[in-house]
Amino acid sequence: MDPAELDLFDRTLRDATEAHSGAALDAALLELGWHEALAHDRRAAVSLLFEHQGRAAVTSGALDDVVAHALGPDTAPDAAIVFPALGRAEPPAYEGAGGVVLQGLGTSRLLRRDTALVVVRARHGELVAVVKTAELACRPVRGMDPDLGLVEVTGAVIVVAPVTPIDRDGWSTAVTGARLAVGHELVGASAAMLELARVHALNRVQFGRPISAFQAVRHRLADSLVALESARALLDAAWQDGSGETAAMAKALAGRSARTVAGHCQQVLAGMGFTTEHPLHRYVRRVLVLDELFGSARALTADLGRHVLTRRRLPPPLPL
Amino acid sequence: MELDDFRHALDGWLDEHAAALAPDGATGTLDEHMAQLEKVKRLAYDAGFMRWGWPERVGGLGGSPMLRAYLGEALTGRDLVEPGIYSMTETLAPTMIDHARPRLAAEMVPRLLRGEETWCQGFSEPGTGSNLAALACRAIREQNGWRVTGEKVWTSLAQYAQRCVLLTRTGAPGSAHGGITALFVDMDSPGITVRPIETMHGAPEFCEVFFDGVAVPFDRTLGQEDEGWSVAMDLLPFERSTALWHKAAYLHRRLQDLVEVVPADALDPAALGAAVQLLAAFRARSRATLYRLAAAERLGPETSIDKVLVASAEQAVFDIVEAGLAPEVLLGDDPGGSRWRSEYLFSRAATIYGGTAEIQRNIIARRLLDLGVDR
Repeated sequence: MDPAELDLFDRTLRDATEAHSGAALDAALLELGWHEALAHDRRAAVSLLFEHQGRAAVTSGALDDVVAHALGPDTAPDAAIVFPALGRAEPPAYEGAGGVVLQGLGTSRLLRRDTALVVVRARHGELVAVVKTAELACRPVRGMDPDLGLVEVTGAVIVVAPVTPIDRDGWSTAVTGARLAVGHELVGASAAMLELARVHALNRVQFGRPISAFQAVRHRLADSLVALESARALLDAAWQDGSGETAAMAKALAGRSARTVAGHCQQVLAGMGFTTEHPLHRYVRRVLVLDELFGSARALTADLGRHVLTRRRLPPPLPL
Repeated sequence: MELDDFRHALDGWLDEHAAALAPDGATGTLDEHMAQLEKVKRLAYDAGFMRWGWPERVGGLGGSPMLRAYLGEALTGRDLVEPGIYSMTETLAPTMIDHARPRLAAEMVPRLLRGEETWCQGFSEPGTGSNLAALACRAIREQNGWRVTGEKVWTSLAQYAQRCVLLTRTGAPGSAHGGITALFVDMDSPGITVRPIETMHGAPEFCEVFFDGVAVPFDRTLGQEDEGWSVAMDLLPFERSTALWHKAAYLHRRLQDLVEVVPADALDPAALGAAVQLLAAFRARSRATLYRLAAAERLGPETSIDKVLVASAEQAVFDIVEAGLAPEVLLGDDPGGSRWRSEYLFSRAATIYGGTAEIQRNIIARRLLDLGVDR
């Protein structure tokens, strides 16, 4: 896309995420050509949509689409996907002695489809299985973030319809794409929290002046901006170098930054931000759950450290 | 010259001349670091590499500042120069090119690039650290030139310097940003006394500089009289772009050195992972800033984010060093241990020099978050 097209696409996505959520947002994305964009300019499609989705605190099945797209060109464009269980990044199902065992998560799209795609770690590589959702044990999750519409999926044995082997790198490509998407969503949510806290600080008067005049408040907000911009820079780097390792670093930093921003902004918004009348709580809840999808900041960061110590080598630096 | 061609040619030259470029002896002391810097600049200038990215009117060969960014990355990444002392070239040459009279710039800049001269930057004073605009070092207009009296402090490399880019008060006391004039001063002028400051990291690179009625010709004025603040501010984009990129290469190099030798059980993997991520994020941010510089975009207060990130990354890296190599850092008296210790201690200053961490956050709050004034 050229700059003018990008700008238009960006505004279209912003409008869609501000107006719709869930199935309605899926429909809007289908209509505005997001799937074509995903096929032709994955970076623009993913980075723009997920940042807006995070900012507006809405949901969609776009993460299903990102994973489906990575799994192969033959995958249905609006398929429902079973993601790994919370905090995990390996395929949600494996082939055990007694059959296929499944434990994972889905978006609310899973409940609206008759079938879903499950990646199974089998003895001889990874497969994509089409399963009937009616035969899965699906629990709509309320939990920390009821608005996120996650579905917990379990099953001891599932009926496996046509099974397609995927490339050796298929699953890791899908994980990388999902991590970038969730990373952008975390940055979008961080930006929204910072804006809420910023506006509050300018308007809330105490001791005869807006609390934005107090350095203790200003520095929390400044640190929030540094945190979210550092995550954004590393996400950009991950798109540039295309490596799964950089994407994992960027997802981890986005998660850690979002937690930092949530902490600062909650403190600045104080009592107001603690009520359900104020939107902050939706973001605070959301980033905690998003951070855990496809590997939390905590786990990915420790994994990276162990990996560096084993290899005795830093990840290759981003070239000029 | 395109970046890829430059990279290829430079890498080849550095490989071929590795022996000649390597330090002649130890590089433990500041004197030894300075001698090494002069040698590398001279060799790189004579081979042409030090001239790319600078305009032809000051002896350069033209081309994008990206070429300079890569040169400094390659030199610091190969541990051939120390990035802090190298950065003076990156910040002071553009100041001369943009603000000195053209003949003066054409005469002086090649000497700096070729390592024939060292220049220093006389900004901070005992009474004006963070509040630079309150500086008091006075320049009085006399018939034949300026007469400078006052005191500077934290002036890096003044004891080695032949010239100084000096900020002076030419307006009324209290004229703040509006009454500052920048001068280019010969350090061998009568009336200048330099006293190096012993610092905790062991390299006396900062100095006090005393000016006692020092005569400076009018044609050494940089920019216009009373407009020295903009000269100082124009230096910032270079301090925050190429120089920070070089620092990123140096930090990567030293963290790599660490992970090659650190005992596997001496480090918390989470802390190491976080430092690696932070350094990668700083590098990504700095790279984007360089591309904006190369596209002739105006760099402004958003580079305070780069500055906060470099300081955070540097301290995170050397926190890891101190934890992972405690025996070397705390007890080592061999050159390796002394170097790790000196670098660790110097990293504590990363949130102090070049605008403190607090000043950077104030700038971010006022200029980027639009939070108004803090009073």
